[in-house]
Amino acid sequence: MSEADRRSRLLRIAAGATFLALAAVLVLIAITASGSGDGGDTEIEGKAAVAKLLEGIPQRQMTLGDPKAAVELIEFGDLQCPTCAGYAEEILPAIMETQVRKGEAKIDFRNFTIIGPESAAAGAAALAAAAQGRGWSFVELFYRNQSAENSGYADDDAFLRALARAAGVADLGRWDADRARMTGRVEETSQEAKNLGFDGTPSFAIKGPKAGGIKLLGTPETTGALEDAIEEAG
Amino acid sequence: MSRLDEGSLQRAIAFLAALGVGLAAYLAIAEANGGSPVCLAGGSGCETVARSSWSHLAGVNVAVLGIAGYALLLATAFFASDTARFAGFVLALGGFGYSVFLTYVELFKIEAACQWCLASAVLMTILFALCAARLIVYAGTAAAIPGRA
Repeated sequence: MSEADRRSRLLRIAAGATFLALAAVLVLIAITASGSGDGGDTEIEGKAAVAKLLEGIPQRQMTLGDPKAAVELIEFGDLQCPTCAGYAEEILPAIMETQVRKGEAKIDFRNFTIIGPESAAAGAAALAAAAQGRGWSFVELFYRNQSAENSGYADDDAFLRALARAAGVADLGRWDADRARMTGRVEETSQEAKNLGFDGTPSFAIKGPKAGGIKLLGTPETTGALEDAIEEAG
Repeated sequence: MSRLDEGSLQRAIAFLAALGVGLAAYLAIAEANGGSPVCLAGGSGCETVARSSWSHLAGVNVAVLGIAGYALLLATAFFASDTARFAGFVLALGGFGYSVFLTYVELFKIEAACQWCLASAVLMTILFALCAARLIVYAGTAAAIPGRA
C-alpha cells in the first residue's frame, strides 16, 4: 500500500471514529437527561401551602421561630411517620400562626427514627437542608409527600433532591455533600428521645422558664393541649 | 508554509499527558485514602462529584481510568509511527468524548463544579486537538528521523 493510500485509509477511519464518538456522546447525554436522577421531574406537592405557612418565620438549623423565644417546644419525629404528618398538617399550624409567629415560642424538630433505616437518610437530608436555613421547609414538604413506610421512597436520591430543591435549598451541591455528615446527628437525637423515655412519634417535650428544665409532654392529641403547655412553660 | 513539527507535537502531547496522569492520580489517591479531593478554589463541588454515583464506571473509579488513559496517551507520544499516531488519536477522542459527557453530568445532573474534573476536561480537549493535528498532518508518512523536524 502506498503512503498516500495508507494516509487516506487512516484519515477515513479517524473521521468515522470521530462521527461515532460524537454520536455516542449525544446519545449518552440524551439518555441521561431523560432519566430522573436529578429529581427535576419529581412532582412535589404542597409547595405553596408550606411556603405560606412558614413565610416570615425564621428558620435556624432545625429551629422554627425567634431564636430568643422563651419557650422551646421540641418535636421528636420520624419523617416516614404518617401520624407526624397529621400533626404537621392539623395540629401544629395553629401554633405556628400564633405563638411562634408572635415570638412566644420556637419549635425544634429532632429526628427520632423508629420506622426504618430509610428514615435516617431522610432525616440527614433534612438536617443538610437545615444547614442552609431550609430545614423546616424540607420537613413540612416531606410530610406532605409521604408514601408507604419503608417502600424505598424515603431514601431515594431523586425524591430527596426534588424536596431539597422545592424547599429552596440554594446550594444543592453542598446539601448533597452535607447529607453524609448528618447521619451521626440523626442517631444522636434518636438516642436522646429514647433516653427521655419516648417510644413513639411524634413525641413532644418543652423547655421554658416555668418548665423546670425539660418537661415531657408525650403526644398531646390537640392543638389546645400544646398551646396550654406553651403557656404554662413561658 | 512550513508544516507543524511532529517532534514538537509529540513533546506537547507528552507534557500534557504527564500532567493528566498526575491530576488523575491525585483524584484516585484522594478517594483511596477515604477522603475526597479538595477544591483549591473553595466550595464543596469536588467532594460532591467524588461522592456521586457518576464517579465510578462499572465499579472502577473514573480517576483510575483517567490514569490509564493519560498513561497510554503518554506512551503514544514516544513513537513516530502511524500506529502511535492513530492510537493517540483514538485514545484522545475517547477521552474527549467521555470528558464532554462527564462535564454535562457534573453541571446539569450533579449540579456541582469540580475544578479538577474541569481541568482534566480542558487537558483532554487540548490533547484531542494535538493528536488530531498530528494524525492529519503526519498520517502515512515514514517514522521521523530522530533529530530531524
